[in-house]
Amino acid sequence: MVCYIRVVNQYLALSIGLPGHGLHLAYDPLALLFLAILTPQIIATALGPDRKSVAYWLFVAGMVLAVLAAEAFPLLLGFELMSAASWLLVLRGDRKPATLYAGVAMFSGACILPALFLPPGGIAFTLILLGAGAKAGLAPLHAWLPRAHPAPSAGVSALMSGGMVKVALYILIRYGFIVMGGAAQPWWGTALIIAGAASVLIGSLRAMLEVELKTILACSTVEHVGLIAVGLGIALRAKALGDPSLAALALQGALLCAIAHGLFKPLLFLGAGAVKHATSTTSLDWLGGLIRGMPKLGGLMLAGCFGMAALPLGPGFAPEFLLLHAVINAANTGEIISRIGFTALLAILGLAAALALGAAVRIIGIGFLGRPRSLRAAAAEEADRPVLFGMGLLAVLCVPVALFPGMILLFLNPVINQLIPDAEQPPLGYAPAPLALLLLLAAGASYAILKRYGTKAEREVHAFNGGFGKPPAWLPFGDPITQATGTGFAEPVQRALGRAILGPKTIDPGELYVLDPLRRLNVQFTRAAERVRRATIRQRLAFVFMALVLFLAALGFVQGT
Amino acid sequence: MSNLIYPFAHLLGGLILICAFAMLSQRRLAAMITLYQFEAITLTAAAFWQGYAQHELALYLTGVITLVIKAVALPIGLRRIVKNFNIVRAVETAMPVGLSMILGVGLIGVAVWVVLPTTLSAVTLTREDLAISLSVVLLGLLVMTTRRNALSQVVGFLSTENGLVLAAIGMPGMPFVAELSVALLVLMAFLVVGVFLFRIREHFDNLDIAGIENIEKQGR
Repeated sequence: MVCYIRVVNQYLALSIGLPGHGLHLAYDPLALLFLAILTPQIIATALGPDRKSVAYWLFVAGMVLAVLAAEAFPLLLGFELMSAASWLLVLRGDRKPATLYAGVAMFSGACILPALFLPPGGIAFTLILLGAGAKAGLAPLHAWLPRAHPAPSAGVSALMSGGMVKVALYILIRYGFIVMGGAAQPWWGTALIIAGAASVLIGSLRAMLEVELKTILACSTVEHVGLIAVGLGIALRAKALGDPSLAALALQGALLCAIAHGLFKPLLFLGAGAVKHATSTTSLDWLGGLIRGMPKLGGLMLAGCFGMAALPLGPGFAPEFLLLHAVINAANTGEIISRIGFTALLAILGLAAALALGAAVRIIGIGFLGRPRSLRAAAAEEADRPVLFGMGLLAVLCVPVALFPGMILLFLNPVINQLIPDAEQPPLGYAPAPLALLLLLAAGASYAILKRYGTKAEREVHAFNGGFGKPPAWLPFGDPITQATGTGFAEPVQRALGRAILGPKTIDPGELYVLDPLRRLNVQFTRAAERVRRATIRQRLAFVFMALVLFLAALGFVQGT
Repeated sequence: MSNLIYPFAHLLGGLILICAFAMLSQRRLAAMITLYQFEAITLTAAAFWQGYAQHELALYLTGVITLVIKAVALPIGLRRIVKNFNIVRAVETAMPVGLSMILGVGLIGVAVWVVLPTTLSAVTLTREDLAISLSVVLLGLLVMTTRRNALSQVVGFLSTENGLVLAAIGMPGMPFVAELSVALLVLMAFLVVGVFLFRIREHFDNLDIAGIENIEKQGR
């Protein structure tokens, strides 16, 4: 085994194995960026109990190998290693989604494998889009994600949601922009935008409506993958249409969204794992008041939800801001149909932002505030130190993304130059740090004024207490049914939007139109196969004979024409 | 004499094809065996004729082997089985004769349609010979598929093999080893099938493979 380093295409490359037959690894700005996205999550999740499992480390190794691969073979090896190891980890959690997940993983592998060796073009990109999109949870192939991602333990869920989908998107970026960049067509970007918009809408709506905490987070992942895909699609389309500055703007939004999502989503998943550990459930309808038992965890979850909701001064805002800018710019140019489309996209993004805010409020408000809805939730104790430490690390890393996004964008410049060679980066029109300083000043000043000039007299009144009635004596922690449940909280949204978009039974369209037909097809295939298996000797002979005659006839037909 | 080579080879091939086709129309085993014997004798003649035409000693040897094994030994064995099993009067009922003959005509059409355009560059003799042998092979397979009696399936199999040998002898430069091994294989297969037939009869008292199909169904 030989290991040597050389310089290829001005980036460092590393070859492992026999000279000439080794695995070639290389790093360029794009690979480094995704490695940087992966590293904090890996550190944070490795602090938990998952580090004792071999499959976890195989999973990590697969992701790193896929990102650092310099050619198709190690890329595919890493991708498949990642799929197989994560399947094992999902299987350890739950059997049913594991089977679904294995099917999706095989589908995406089967799409990507031929695409890597096809000449650059529409077919190859479609296959890449199907394979990487299925793995990343892009609509309409997203229905597996809210089932499979919550199944394994918290650390693995965090890494799957924060890291694995990024690796799939990395493959999409690598092939869409670099390997097949020369053959890019505008419709590639359009397809990506449509898939992304559908994911954003469905993901944010389901995140608002689901009851299980981890499922909410997984649905929110679908939404964020959709946001990233929208950004990438606008960039791809603008690049093919020859508008590099718009492409750079959209790409900034997409990559910044990937960075931010890679920080707050693992944080939230780790927190959900800690909640499950403490209360043995993640159903919002059984939680409540957790912030009293676990104040540190509650604070960290609040920080994560701040990012998920894309509130200003949070890590999720700057990417959303850039994306909206890119969509507005795209809506200003082009023909009438694309203008209408981008305007509709703007509406979808706005709706999704509102829904994401609702989902974040619901997690904090139902799960962490109010009164406990079960004895276990009332008796919850603070999470273990390593988990808190990992979450704290991710939360600290959120701060620069939230307050200094302009600085992060400077680090992104080489990546954008690599993806869109003739782009100049537009400056960011959003400066949260001075804004935060101003806000802080205003808050401090008003506090000081209140302190100085406010009245000091005391008056005793009946506590409003959040609208709850006074608890009866036999219920020591209050009557939980006097407060809204998670389902009740989501009811208005369910009435207004859920029925309109998801149908009266609120079934995910990805499930209704993709998974269910596949299931029916599977049953039919099984029946046909069973019929063949039950065939008598003569029937089988007849099958073979008919196949032979058919082939001969086809041969004659081909030769004759 | 040399201008007779092609017509006579075609005549022999056509006779073999007629035998194979006639097999489809026969519902009694004895008649099928007689047709098979006639087919094998014609094949022997064809092998000798090709040996004479191509000046190839190996083809004479093929002819001798065909004569001894297929024209004499196998029909004797088949007739003995028919007599021992007392199925002289057995009548095949699987598929109407007319339908199977229509299918046979279709198969001959397919064979001609495939072979003639595919081998445009080859010699005329070989091309038409190949079409005839492919038809014989397909007709033998059709017999195997449409018959229910195990012994008629065996005869269909043997007829298929005759078609292969016809293709082999018409092809100049085909090594003798191939024909020899095919002939031996047929002999071995016949022995195995003979043993198998005895086993089937021990269990079901006849050679109708419907019994096996019933057992297969029950086993699942």
